[in-house]
Amino acid sequence: MLALQLLVNGIVTGCALGLVAISFSFVYATIRIFHVAHAGVYTTGGYIAWWLVAKGVPFPAALVVAIAACAGFGALIQAWLYAELERRKATHLVVLIASLGALAVIQNIIAALFSANILRFDLPWASRVFHLGEQLRLTAAQLITVAVSLAAYGGTMWFSRGTILGKQIRAVASNPFLGEITRLRPRRVHVYVMAIASALVCLPGVLVPLDLGLQPYSGVTPLLTATIAMIAGGVGSLTGAFVLAIAIAELQNLSLLVMPGEWSIGITFFIFVIFMLFRPTGLFAAAR
Amino acid sequence: MDFWFSYVALASIYVLLGLSTNLLVGIAGIFSVSQAAVFGVGAYIVAYFLMNDITSFLPALAVAAVCCIALNIVVTLPALRVSGDYFVVTSFGIQLLATAVFTNWTDGTGGANGLPGIPSADLAGKALESTGAMVALSLCGMAVGCLIFWLVMRAPFGRLLRAIREDELAVAAAGKSVLRAKVSASALAGAFAGTAGGLYATFLSFIDPSSFDLDASILLLTMVVVGGARTLAGSIVGPFLLLALPQILTMVDIPTTIAAAARQLLYGVLLIVFMLFRPQGLAGEKL
Repeated sequence: MLALQLLVNGIVTGCALGLVAISFSFVYATIRIFHVAHAGVYTTGGYIAWWLVAKGVPFPAALVVAIAACAGFGALIQAWLYAELERRKATHLVVLIASLGALAVIQNIIAALFSANILRFDLPWASRVFHLGEQLRLTAAQLITVAVSLAAYGGTMWFSRGTILGKQIRAVASNPFLGEITRLRPRRVHVYVMAIASALVCLPGVLVPLDLGLQPYSGVTPLLTATIAMIAGGVGSLTGAFVLAIAIAELQNLSLLVMPGEWSIGITFFIFVIFMLFRPTGLFAAAR
Repeated sequence: MDFWFSYVALASIYVLLGLSTNLLVGIAGIFSVSQAAVFGVGAYIVAYFLMNDITSFLPALAVAAVCCIALNIVVTLPALRVSGDYFVVTSFGIQLLATAVFTNWTDGTGGANGLPGIPSADLAGKALESTGAMVALSLCGMAVGCLIFWLVMRAPFGRLLRAIREDELAVAAAGKSVLRAKVSASALAGAFAGTAGGLYATFLSFIDPSSFDLDASILLLTMVVVGGARTLAGSIVGPFLLLALPQILTMVDIPTTIAAAARQLLYGVLLIVFMLFRPQGLAGEKL
């Protein structure tokens, strides 16, 4: 029975991780930046929502404000940092170091403002337990996480295939130079991409802490797991990233049956090494 | 006086680490945030050997260096075969995994409480118990490290590494193995980091996981970025400057609860500012 419960928990964390993975993949496939500071945006969303809830704002409103704030924040990172670096013809390595710097700045501003201790949302309904069948238990927060994540995944797929902006983004991603001469304005599209990805990563950033609480430095591990899911799923494939995120979360949860939870990062990393050795292009990689 | 002694000794240990990070990031062009993990492995190995009286200091240091070389080769080889970006993941992964091992493997590493009471270093059967002797040892370590770095960069191998930074494709077209050069650079970086770890453990006689976490790796990267990539001068300037910085911060009146966060915040700001306005650092070449 424990195995079944772990399986269900794996789906919950997997869905949340999947959103981190598709948002990161969106940035990586389009702007071609290894956006390490994404982990900082993820954490920021949670803290904004926590602060608003503590001030007495109802949770849905707090979530919407946090999403909007993250979108704006992401756009600022793109416009003030990455676009500026691109203008100065910075190498890939320079951009990476700057991104790591931005992550350090975001995390430590949060740590200075809110202290490094775990903060919990003061929302009794979030931890209400629902029983499914005999022994399966799920909290309200977990149910919301799954529902919102699946909806956001569907929404992103539709946005990418069905809307004009989504098509423009894919066009710019496949060939920035051609995008420039056909007046798609790649730079502006990049700002949109970063805003959308940041809004998207804010969802798990708020929903996961409902269950587990907030910590300033807790964004790096989910981001690392999500990038591994993206690589294993095949860079550029949103479905691949989402599915592999769930698979990795399942493996992590089931590994709890045989070893303590502190080592789950080892499991994740093991998966990455296996993929690198045997299928570096990932499972769902598009034919090139 | 003691304060100056420990500043000089720590700074010279960090110069070794700076050289190690510089070899990877500046010269081979591999982004790495796991140098602190390798540093930690070196420190724990030397601590283990000395505390259990298995060997004397120098053989222990050699074992640590060899282990760190092997670790760095194992880590870089698969990731670099595929793509440079994958090494970012490997690097973060190694760092988080190492922190997990240092914190949770209580039997070997003392867990979060760390390992207290590491014996002081000894040379030719004589224990170096005074601080002055330890400072001299660290300075010697730094001098040897700098000499090796200087010789390597003058040698054909150093020119090959520089050429790779300029144009990888051209080097491959000229019939040189880019992968082999990068892995060799990484192995040398491992040797430096392992040696630095051994010196650090014996100098402080106490190690715990917080000295080898992600923040420590970011500090190392900041040292190289501020000092300057790809030059010997840069790897010396950076550590001496950045280790002095917390002392200046203590003069500014900030509450002690946020002091650690404020320090890391400053490192982050330095990384961004230098990348935007002076990517070559104070005394380096183009990054």
